[in-house]
Amino acid sequence: MGDTVPQNAGYLMAAYILVPTILIAYAVSLYRRSRNP
Amino acid sequence: MTIAQKGRWLVIVGLVLLGGVYVRALAFTPVERFQGPAQKIFYVHVPAAVTTELAVILMGLAGAFFLFLKDLRLDRFAEASAEVGTVFAAIVLTTGPIWGKPIWGTWWTWDARLTLTLLLFFLLVGYQVLRGAVTDSGLRARYSAVLGICAVVLVVFNHLSVYLFPTLHPQPIVIKPGKPDLPPAMLLTLLLSFGVFLVLYVGFVMQRYDIARRRGEAVHG
Repeated sequence: MGDTVPQNAGYLMAAYILVPTILIAYAVSLYRRSRNP
Repeated sequence: MTIAQKGRWLVIVGLVLLGGVYVRALAFTPVERFQGPAQKIFYVHVPAAVTTELAVILMGLAGAFFLFLKDLRLDRFAEASAEVGTVFAAIVLTTGPIWGKPIWGTWWTWDARLTLTLLLFFLLVGYQVLRGAVTDSGLRARYSAVLGICAVVLVVFNHLSVYLFPTLHPQPIVIKPGKPDLPPAMLLTLLLSFGVFLVLYVGFVMQRYDIARRRGEAVHG
């Protein structure tokens, strides 16, 4: 059996960090605009 | 509690639940044998894509109803949905290449699905540029409604593009005729993630709608 699972967890981590970063940045943007629409 | 405050709480709940989805995806969902851990990008990429499609369809519907009813609340909802859809489209367009690189060997390819998704993102940005460029609120709402309806056509075409053109992008495995082609553990994680993205969408739209409403009141008194 020569099958090995690819070792590419770095890409997963990058995506999983990027998503909440975008969401939190947008949430902060909305909060700032709601104070001064 | 105002609509913006409710929306803010929904977003906070959504972000906490997203952490829960991460735990489930990383610790309680099997690793796909051929793609490895990178396949788990699926659990954010696909829900973000479906939520983008939903945001654009609701934007288009609100625009279409506005053309008949002339109710500015519909226009404000369309404005809010478009902006939130742009954010989710940005997530799709960034997580996609991060997933594509280890699996396809390339960050990007100009095939139908990817190109049409990029076009949809530009259309959503253009929608907001258009809104910023037209000062008359009635005209702005009418022009935006027409562009919003065009965006819905693009979403439908984009969803079907993987059937119509040869493409690297996989065909739908959940939103398609027949049963989903996923093991139950993966399907449950995907559905939970979709639920979380839906909560985030609603929370963001409530906040953005409130901003649009207050801007409208500031202009019209």
